[in-house]
Amino acid sequence: MKNLRVSISLFGLLTVIFLALIARCVYLQYFNNPKYVGLCDKQQQTIAMLKPQRGVILDCRGRVLAASKELQTVFVEPRILDDPKQTASELAEVLDVGAHIICKVITDGANPGFVKIKQGVDVNQASAVRKVRGAGVDYDWQRHYPTGRLASHILGFTSADNRGLEGIELEYDKDLAGSAGKSVFIADAFRRPIRLKEHFADVTDGVGIILTIDSTIQQFAREELYQQYQNYRAESAMAIVAEPKTGAILAMVSLPDFDPEHFNTADTNTLRNRAITDQFEPGSLIKPVVMAIALDDKVVNTTEKIFCEDGSYCGKGFGCISEYRNGFANLNVREILVNSSNIGMAKVGQRMGKEKLYNGLKLFGFGKETGIDLPGEAPGLLWPTPKWTGYSVTRIPFGQEITVTAMQLVKSFCMLANGGRPVRPHVIKAVVDNEGNIVKMTQAPPPVAYCVDPKITKWIITEALTGVVNEGTGKKAKLKKWQVFGKSGTANIAKEGERGYAERQYVASFIAGAPAEDPAVIVLVSVRKPDMSLGKGYTGGTIAAPVAGKIIERTLTYLENSRPSTLPKTTLASKKK
Amino acid sequence: MRLGFRLFFVAIYFTSVLLFAACLRNANDRTFYKICAARVAQNRLKQQLTGKQLRLENLINPANVAQQINPPK
Repeated sequence: MKNLRVSISLFGLLTVIFLALIARCVYLQYFNNPKYVGLCDKQQQTIAMLKPQRGVILDCRGRVLAASKELQTVFVEPRILDDPKQTASELAEVLDVGAHIICKVITDGANPGFVKIKQGVDVNQASAVRKVRGAGVDYDWQRHYPTGRLASHILGFTSADNRGLEGIELEYDKDLAGSAGKSVFIADAFRRPIRLKEHFADVTDGVGIILTIDSTIQQFAREELYQQYQNYRAESAMAIVAEPKTGAILAMVSLPDFDPEHFNTADTNTLRNRAITDQFEPGSLIKPVVMAIALDDKVVNTTEKIFCEDGSYCGKGFGCISEYRNGFANLNVREILVNSSNIGMAKVGQRMGKEKLYNGLKLFGFGKETGIDLPGEAPGLLWPTPKWTGYSVTRIPFGQEITVTAMQLVKSFCMLANGGRPVRPHVIKAVVDNEGNIVKMTQAPPPVAYCVDPKITKWIITEALTGVVNEGTGKKAKLKKWQVFGKSGTANIAKEGERGYAERQYVASFIAGAPAEDPAVIVLVSVRKPDMSLGKGYTGGTIAAPVAGKIIERTLTYLENSRPSTLPKTTLASKKK
Repeated sequence: MRLGFRLFFVAIYFTSVLLFAACLRNANDRTFYKICAARVAQNRLKQQLTGKQLRLENLINPANVAQQINPPK
């Protein structure tokens, strides 16, 4: 009887124990299943993330402007090391770094799974490191800019984790970056992959971008501009070279500049691409555009004489206007542009009236972004007509009460040189995939309606603006080989936070093109706040015109020798003469 | 006796199938490893080439050539 009770008790106890075990199993297998499966997977699997190579950026002749290079990084995993000193001495032999330094790095490392030892090791070192237990080699991509500062503002730069932060790098970041690959492997005890378990995505390298920029022309522009920028101790300077028929930008320089590989140490003031972000009053540079609009609207004609009030023009509602130097009596339209008469332009503006002037300037793209494929472009400022005062209609025609970007000015002159047809400035020529196939190509714009009668633009270019270079303020841009046309501008700089203009502070600019018969290039040079205490001058004709002339000469000579077919036949013919 | 032979052949058959499967799996792993190693080697060569190309571009780009011709004073 007693044995029976013991047996029943024992049986009951065992039953309870087994029930408890079953309950525990159910708890582990059913309720806590995901947690333990996760832990198990973590132990058995390793995830391999393949980082894509960022796409290259090339100039229009295939020269590399930006490319990524693999960078090998040696690391150790402290948690699996038996003896850090032993590992450190093994690595020291391979990496040529003191063992005590490596040992200190390992023991001081906060992350037990990853301690970086050395970055940028070569192939032989990397293979030797792989044989050391607990050490490994990871890779990353480092961005290189072989041309250094040359095209820094166009290209921009990337962060340490390879994200575009400025310029083309930012604008086309998604295309250039590519997409990462991800695979899950079954791993051995040393975390080495044995077999592929699951493949999520293939690594896709970033696409390549071909620019319209020609680094040789970019070099010409930078070299000439930099010299003048230093000679005149200017605050900043910029130059743009464009193809008027297509709107392709061949060079774009902004000074001061920076080295994109070391942008962290650069002054933040140098990082801005002034050619598209800085807005300034254009001064006389806008006169040919306003005159073209006036001629097209038939408010003036090319033979008519306008009385320029002998240098002082005052009236109710628009104050007093004076000339830059001497006063003039009667001038025709060509003479107004050649002598850069403010009063002549003010009278033309009065004849046009608000609406015609505003609509014409809008047609030339002022007051809105040009649409260039670069980030951070400013729209400039052209007030809507209800906000115009009595001064506006007399001041805007000679470049006051309006702000523009250098790119807008280039666009408007490209339109004049292109027979009044609109163009869109662009820096991207094509986007190519990893096999070299063209993904996207910037096509020449289809023929569209003229904004201004081509006869008028032709007259402005070949008669008026060549006169500026041959007889007027642009003599320093004159070339023997080619007939240059252009217009100088010396604009006051508005005071910050108060009315009026700052004294002895100017933006000296010159916009030119050549050859006048069939323009192949348009060049804008603008120098901000040249040091007047040097006594070398401060006007656009003195500072900017010689630079523009030299850039045109070097560019046309280069284009003629390197791709004669792209230059208009008239150019070659005129040269032979 | 016949039954004994049959059982023997069945055992041999299943064993050989298992061995063959193991063999195939092993070969698959080896091939996979070889492909991975070849890819790594190919990538390494590509990177070496990229490095050399970048060094060359550093030397022949217009900015550097201009600097070599007219060194800054």
